[in-house]
Amino acid sequence: MRKIGVFVCHCGLNIAGTVDVKRVVEAVEEYPGVVFATDYKYMCSDPGQALIQKAIADHELDGVVVAACSPAMHEVTFRKTARAAGVNPYLTEIANIREQISWVHEAEPDAATVKAIEIIETIIEKVRYDEPLEPFSLPLVKRALVIGGGIAGMTAALHIADAGYPVVLVEREAQLGGKMGQLSSLYLNFDTAPDLLQSRIEAVTRHPNIQVLTEAEVTELGGYVGNFTAKVNGSEPFTFDVGAIVVATGFDLLPQSELGEYGGGRYPDVIDSLQFEHMLAQGEIRRPSDGTLPKEVVWVQCAGSRDPELHKPYCSKICCMYVAKQAMAYKQRVPDGQAYVFYIDIRSQGKGYEEFVQRAMTEYDVLYLRGKVARVFAEDGRVVVWGVDTLSGKAVEVQADLVVLATAAVPSAGARDLAQRLRVSTDEYGFFSEAHPKLRPVESLTAGIFLAGAAQFPKDIPETVAQASGAAAKVLGLFAQREMVQEPTIAFVDEELCAGCGLCVAACPYEARVMHPWKPIAVVQTALCQGCGACVVACPNKASSLHNLATEQLLAMMEPVL
Amino acid sequence: MTLDEIVVPPIQRVLIIGAGIAGMQAALDIANAGYEVVLVEREPSIGGRMAQLSETFPTLDCAQCILTPRTVEVGHHENIRLRTYSEVEAVEGDLGDFRVRIRRHAAYVNWDICTGCGLCQEKCPKRVVSDFERGVGKRKAIYTLSPQAVPNKPVIDRQSCIYFERGKCRACEKFCPVGAIDFEQEDAVVEERVGAIVVATGYDLYPLSLMGEYGYGEVPDVIDGLAFERLLSASGPTAGQVRRPSDGKEPKEVVFIQCAGSRDPELHMPYCSKICCMYTAKHAMLYKHKVHDGQAYVFYIDIRSAGKRYEEFVQRAMEEEHVLYVRGKVSRVFRENGKVMVWGTDTLSGRNVEVAADLVVLAPAMVPKAGAGAVAELLGLPTDEHGWFTAAEANFQPVETGRPGVFLAGAAVGPMDIPETVAQASGAAAKVLSLFARWSSEVTVTSQVTVT
Repeated sequence: MRKIGVFVCHCGLNIAGTVDVKRVVEAVEEYPGVVFATDYKYMCSDPGQALIQKAIADHELDGVVVAACSPAMHEVTFRKTARAAGVNPYLTEIANIREQISWVHEAEPDAATVKAIEIIETIIEKVRYDEPLEPFSLPLVKRALVIGGGIAGMTAALHIADAGYPVVLVEREAQLGGKMGQLSSLYLNFDTAPDLLQSRIEAVTRHPNIQVLTEAEVTELGGYVGNFTAKVNGSEPFTFDVGAIVVATGFDLLPQSELGEYGGGRYPDVIDSLQFEHMLAQGEIRRPSDGTLPKEVVWVQCAGSRDPELHKPYCSKICCMYVAKQAMAYKQRVPDGQAYVFYIDIRSQGKGYEEFVQRAMTEYDVLYLRGKVARVFAEDGRVVVWGVDTLSGKAVEVQADLVVLATAAVPSAGARDLAQRLRVSTDEYGFFSEAHPKLRPVESLTAGIFLAGAAQFPKDIPETVAQASGAAAKVLGLFAQREMVQEPTIAFVDEELCAGCGLCVAACPYEARVMHPWKPIAVVQTALCQGCGACVVACPNKASSLHNLATEQLLAMMEPVL
Repeated sequence: MTLDEIVVPPIQRVLIIGAGIAGMQAALDIANAGYEVVLVEREPSIGGRMAQLSETFPTLDCAQCILTPRTVEVGHHENIRLRTYSEVEAVEGDLGDFRVRIRRHAAYVNWDICTGCGLCQEKCPKRVVSDFERGVGKRKAIYTLSPQAVPNKPVIDRQSCIYFERGKCRACEKFCPVGAIDFEQEDAVVEERVGAIVVATGYDLYPLSLMGEYGYGEVPDVIDGLAFERLLSASGPTAGQVRRPSDGKEPKEVVFIQCAGSRDPELHMPYCSKICCMYTAKHAMLYKHKVHDGQAYVFYIDIRSAGKRYEEFVQRAMEEEHVLYVRGKVSRVFRENGKVMVWGTDTLSGRNVEVAADLVVLAPAMVPKAGAGAVAELLGLPTDEHGWFTAAEANFQPVETGRPGVFLAGAAVGPMDIPETVAQASGAAAKVLSLFARWSSEVTVTSQVTVT
């Protein structure tokens, strides 16, 4: 009989403020198989972990239940703690009495305490049936795939390649450079964008460890972290193995044709900010309609951003700064021209950014008007902009020669399809989702796939570069391992019971189940199995099972709560 | 100096200065890649500013809950040598071979035998105002920063200790079950050799004492954002109850003042501190979660919620929690009949506004961590006019310094929120890893991909 210890964490008042932890300890102490139970203020703290290790030694425990926060937080911590004291890590389990109990039943402490006892008893049953397991190792392909050849993708590729690993960089367009290739200059110093970019492109194309595939797209991805197989459809089709993937597909601007209320797509002299960049880069600021020099130019910020009713609810983050830059660049070229900027809030958050916008206002006399534009229409060859200055409360009318829309940044076309092919999640707008918004900003939720740049959310060049380097660090960390370690809590097939019907093959969402080449049985491809249990449900003969979640184990776990 | 000029084999070991979320992230990325890290922290335990926070925006995750897996991992990592309560005193050498002198302050506790049982803190008779609790809570003269401190070993604050002051007491020594108290302990100086250095010294808040216009010194119920975090925190001095300092009452009207010392080139800092808009929205929201019948007001210049789910978060504060946003600067804060009077102008209506508040929470400018200047000097790194470390080039080299082998992580460079800090600290780690990998002969380039 397994000797189980139960350790109930107060989590300060997070748990103990609602759940009567003393009562919990008294109840579970009596449960069959439990030889020791105690509580402590913070089980994850050093003294808390020491307490567990001492109890393992004193009571010769061979199973551990920690009743604490979600296993997503400290399962790793406590398994390490128990392993150091000689208990197999897969005989240590977490009973989640914080997220599943104290945080959601604050109003009912009594019922919460009862539920906590039941959940802990469930996990005690689980540990009773758990078998000791060892993780297994898999080969690791130390080559990276970077999708997208803009500044984010190039930065990530260079870091990985500089560390000595081969990189395949796939770019949909004919040229590297992405959106940065369309810019004239960069804020804050008006550095010439093409010059800065060219040196990067050369570093990438000349790098002995980087293979660049342009006019190419990833059409298929199989495998798993450490062992992906990617198909790329370019001038020649490629198939290759990679261990890690960086997604750096960048952003697009919301098409101006969708912004009819601002005259987008209707009037030739209403353009978007990338079209204005193009004019600046060419050195010729001319109205598209008649080629004359515009003397009154209006910038409309938040065109499609911060507009939950009609367009995107989010802020596109980069517009405030590039509009200030464009207005200043315009004034440098047309000193007698007048620049107007309609804004809701000025978001100049970054080193030197606030000061930069102040310069636009004070040195370049750019007129900032706080308010949304109500209407844009053509009249006598000009574009008339009606708006409200919310500071003075007065209506404003500007007879403009040119209107530049700072349109919302949206995920690059095709990002959603790519996400599906990569089996990576996106948010409702199509931006790739990070694993955790605070602490895992460059990882996707799919192991081995990392995120760089505006594919995750709009960001400016400095932030993109820093974050793309961060994604590269994750790849380098992965490649520093000798081999991949895989969790052993996956499915297996009892050959005696398997009838070879193939239902599990169809049920498996990870392509981890195949038929044996000649025997009439199903086989688990262990490296692909995620332990989801779909095969267990599909199998009519009970031949499919999960390690440490066996059917009889689950039934035993049900007992305490029925 | 280039790599070719290095005569000794470069050392694949890194020094990281500062063990907040930035330093810890860089340390974990480098240590998990198999290299040794020396992590130096001035405080007795790691975690930095994030350890003081209650919940984090925009998900309202509890900060301790998501932080402790990190601190525990750092504390137990076989490749990380933690040197807390320590400061870097001298740095010699260059890329590939820095020799670093580190002074470990006397804790007056022998950490090798201390079990972290906490009895000394319980028995110590001297209570003092705690910096960690931001003045709204107390600690003992022998203390750890929090019950989940890593490492969980106490230090004696010599200035407050009765024994050091009057020559008697020694209560901690009497009660310590393992005899770990050592009043004779002295500072220890060690030398570490490393090949690269990451500076992650973080930030402070601009002191309230420099902002008399907001009532500091005259009005006790004016606190800063970090103090409010401690009031909201379940492990804080009020166990998460919002109580005002003057009389311990639950405040029913709370005014949050953004840009206190930021965007103020005449009197204070000209720059935007970047994180305040979001944490103020969070403060107002959490306050409403705790005090349902309370009213929260926010004075702002611009609302800067530029980040994933940030805009939506602020909208929620306004629409669901009925936080009243007033666009305008505050002109005066003063005390009247137990209330904190706030005078300001609503620049949208053009009218003057007066709020009789129970508590005022300032969002002060972020400033470089005290001591960052000394670190800059030790390493010969440039800082800007405000004391922030300067990146080699703002766009393409955001984590590099002008000095080879020395990199920057987190808010040492300037105001930055947690996600940006974490991504950027990983960026600094990437620089170190690239460097170390190039020094290795192990990595060889395999063949190009083949056409199928």
